[in-house]
Amino acid sequence: MQGKSVYKVPNGKLLKIFLDYNKKTKSINKINITGDFFAYPEEAIEIMENQLRNTLLDREILLNKINSMIKENNIEFIGLNAEGLTEGILMCLK
Amino acid sequence: MKEKWRLLKTEDKTAFTNMAIDRAVLVTNSEGKVPPTVRFYTWKPPAISIGYFQSLEEEVDLAVCKELGVDFVRRITGGGAVFHDKELTYSIVISESHPQIPRNILESYGRICGAVMNGLKNLGIESKYVPINDIVTNGKKISGNAQTRKIKTVLQHGTVLLDVDVEKMFSLLKVPDEKIRDKLISDVKERVTSIRHLLGKNISFDNVAEAMKKGFEEEFNVKLTPGKLTEEEIILTKKFEKECFGSRDWNYKK
Repeated sequence: MQGKSVYKVPNGKLLKIFLDYNKKTKSINKINITGDFFAYPEEAIEIMENQLRNTLLDREILLNKINSMIKENNIEFIGLNAEGLTEGILMCLK
Repeated sequence: MKEKWRLLKTEDKTAFTNMAIDRAVLVTNSEGKVPPTVRFYTWKPPAISIGYFQSLEEEVDLAVCKELGVDFVRRITGGGAVFHDKELTYSIVISESHPQIPRNILESYGRICGAVMNGLKNLGIESKYVPINDIVTNGKKISGNAQTRKIKTVLQHGTVLLDVDVEKMFSLLKVPDEKIRDKLISDVKERVTSIRHLLGKNISFDNVAEAMKKGFEEEFNVKLTPGKLTEEEIILTKKFEKECFGSRDWNYKK
């Protein structure tokens, strides 16, 4: 299944996510995180996209995983945060 | 004695060259080969730049770009899509550890935007910095800015609108819903302004560049000395233009 979301992060930027997911297992096949936000270092978003593959589409699991990736890769977001990213991903589900 | 920084003025370069020069200077400055550098530039032909994380086909109407002879390029900085036409674009490249640059990213945006605000003030325009990355005057945006930090070096570039054609801008950018295109255009017209609109007359690139030069000198208490790209920077610019900014792989990567 494929889904897309457009989500204005509260006090932040416009996030647009393209998600390819397995409806049966409720997990991510592939994700493209786009938008006019800032992330430092920029390359960290590609690492996140790769590490999010096969992650279950569950709010708590996603939020924990995103938070741990932010910590591990020393990512600083401006105009985006873990909660916003989680919300954007879940909004892709039909 | 005031610290000397390098000033570059490069008019009428393509989008690919402009983005390649900023990246080339980022590399040479990170290696200590050139001083902190401020550049003022324009774009020929006019171009759309998109933020590093944006999807090209989602944001830009490529058919209209082709029709109107407008180039497009992905930046190495985040942020949104910008139509570069009648504007002065600036960039500053400086070590992350330079005492004039706050460690905190948002604070450093504010500091560099302070230089642009001084420049506007030198033209008789009062403005203020609105986080994350805008400069506004009378509540209307006149400048957008974007920063990256790589190899322990800060690159911030941004626009100062000399004039603005919102209709043309929106013919080049995709809108989320065609039904609200007119409403969007009228909203943006209310929220964006330009030097020409504010002063009621045309001001040349050179005059704005001079005001901005003083603005940067005042903000950072330095002297900006006119200079040129080094041989190495020219070679790096060509390399980045070919391998990165002019390539389909880069521009369509998202």
